[in-house]
Amino acid sequence: MSTESIEASGVVTSANVTSDVSVVTTTHTDQRTGGPAMGQRILDIRNFSVDYGWGEGAVRAVNNVDLHLNRSTVLGIAGESGSGKSTLVYGFTRLLRAPGVIAGGEALFNLQSEDGTDIIVDLVTASEKELRKVRWSNISVVLQSALSALNPVLRVGTQFEQVLKTHRRDMSKADRRARTVELLALVGLNEDRLRRYPHELSGGQRQRVMIALALALDPQLVIMDEPTTALDVVTQREIISKLFELRSRFGFAMIFITHDLSLLVELADEIVVMYAGEIVERASAQALYDTPRHPYTLGLLNSFPPMHGVRTELTGIPGSPPDLAQLPTGCNFNPRCPYAMERCLKESPSLADLGEDGRSVACWLHSGDAGVVVPVELRRTGKGKREPAPMPVKRDVS
Amino acid sequence: MRLIGRRLALYSVTAWVAISVNFILPHLMPGDPIQTLIGKIQGQVTPQEIEAIRLSFGGGLDKPLLTQYFTYLSQLLHGNLGVSITLSQPVTTILKQSVPWTLGLIGISTILSFIIGTVCGALLGWTRGSRLDSLIPTATFFQAIPYFFLATVMLLVFGSDLHLFPVLGAYSQNLHPGWTWAFAASAVRYAELPVVSIVLSSIAGWMLGMRNMMITVVAEDFVLMAVAMGLPKRKVIMAAARNAVLPSIANLSLAIGLVVSGALLVELVFNYPGVGDLLLNAVQNEDYPLIQGIFLVITLAVLAANLLADLVYLGLDPRTRTETAT
Repeated sequence: MSTESIEASGVVTSANVTSDVSVVTTTHTDQRTGGPAMGQRILDIRNFSVDYGWGEGAVRAVNNVDLHLNRSTVLGIAGESGSGKSTLVYGFTRLLRAPGVIAGGEALFNLQSEDGTDIIVDLVTASEKELRKVRWSNISVVLQSALSALNPVLRVGTQFEQVLKTHRRDMSKADRRARTVELLALVGLNEDRLRRYPHELSGGQRQRVMIALALALDPQLVIMDEPTTALDVVTQREIISKLFELRSRFGFAMIFITHDLSLLVELADEIVVMYAGEIVERASAQALYDTPRHPYTLGLLNSFPPMHGVRTELTGIPGSPPDLAQLPTGCNFNPRCPYAMERCLKESPSLADLGEDGRSVACWLHSGDAGVVVPVELRRTGKGKREPAPMPVKRDVS
Repeated sequence: MRLIGRRLALYSVTAWVAISVNFILPHLMPGDPIQTLIGKIQGQVTPQEIEAIRLSFGGGLDKPLLTQYFTYLSQLLHGNLGVSITLSQPVTTILKQSVPWTLGLIGISTILSFIIGTVCGALLGWTRGSRLDSLIPTATFFQAIPYFFLATVMLLVFGSDLHLFPVLGAYSQNLHPGWTWAFAASAVRYAELPVVSIVLSSIAGWMLGMRNMMITVVAEDFVLMAVAMGLPKRKVIMAAARNAVLPSIANLSLAIGLVVSGALLVELVFNYPGVGDLLLNAVQNEDYPLIQGIFLVITLAVLAANLLADLVYLGLDPRTRTETAT
């Protein structure tokens, strides 16, 4: 994958990509380490930044994020409101609303053609026309509230019709209908729902319709932006299990955004945790749950009851998310971090590889410097499950 | 459809109430219209003449009110609205001559204004913050000027001075009214200036309303989804506009209702032979049968417009269809 030529033309077909793709990037952009083949790369986001506003008043909502995703895997993005998780995703899919602007970076998406050759598109520089082709046929999106995501004045069937008509020109009317019925059946809805309007369906049904709609064109990547947050717990369960049944059947990759870390641990293969527009920790789901390395991750884990297992006291994270216009000097998390050291107030840590199975964290506690004692709850224990460890109370560092 | 039937029933009840009020109103007025009329006639009035006037009011003013009411209703059903006192013609004949002019002129202007304003508003809302936004103060300027002033200036400048448009009346005086091309062309030509003036003065409302609604709707998730689905831009804008237009439709029904009564100024300035002109004369001369007839037409026009808008709304917004299912 030669980056330069991609930037120049937007779309590049590279035939001899196979050897390259099996290489897995562990941490940073071009610092590729040899590793076991983990399937094909589908998305590669590099140095990606998003601003809200222009010039002087611009606020950086996503800062230099590197992210990659392999075919048929599930990536979870967790973080509080305002951590930039949705902005990141809307940014690289070019769905940002004004005043959001992409401030830099690239988002390489691999559209695999039918004969197996890779076609790489940089979504950041792609033209409107190229984007329209990629949208929905390759990347589809499911939003939090399906009531507002479905056009209220169109019948459910019409909304499917619109999508199929736009992207599958050769389909006949009967074909389109058959496909729609098939899709509804996939999510467990009867075909009589076709004649209904969105407001006539229940919340769960609407989200099912949304999921069916997202799968209409067999996309390689489905982005889920808190798809179950607006639903009750029972429906949430149903939708999630339906989603994963479909995923194992069709093998699409998924980016799953939520603030519910305990949900992610069950669903995702890999999880990134975002804080103030930056990735602060990245690890496989189980590793992240068992041995969180970043104090913020620990705080998030302590904010949700585990889905299964022993009851623990919920502690949460003291303080509130930072004002992106006035970030603290040093580490963004230092005002809320109970472990903040002197260095944290001055220097900002960058995401560094921990050397354990692709884990990386942006925290000075893990810099390996002499004299830094890693607190026990953030240490590598190596033995199975994390002991429920409450966060210590934040004390003043001066 | 049951829903439409329900609306129809509701509107017929409203129409009946309006007609009844229309009947009662003159009876609630202080004084006796007949006496007023007789007072206005200078000189000697014979008892026969008084009787003739009584009859022209529908007859039987000495009968109980209820009987009069039923007579009124049955006459109404037969299309008899009485005889105008000042014009000495059946009210229905007079209305037949003036209502089409008003409906044509103001109705077409209102609909034109609505369509142009809404389309502009939708585009303004979509391209918010662009240079197109300067259209808004321009349009608001024309709405802010009192209509009679705007219309008079236009009449003087474009009509009298520049001779770009014919002035005074609804058609050339050299032509005889009829279904001929020449007459139709002349009517259109004479209507141009009034139509432009009405559209200019009323377009800002439609434009601003639609623009603001559009801005709200564009922020909705389903518009984002339409973009994410890779739909062509035209379809994305349509998806938003289709939802944003709903409040404007509701306003249109109100505006159409005001067509007949709002005609007054327009017809005065342009000397247009419509209902507004007629109403002014009727009120000045206390021509009760004519006033009653005009009120009736106005009421029915408002009701019909509302019914129409209701039905259109039902068609456009599926959410209103379930609301009455209780």
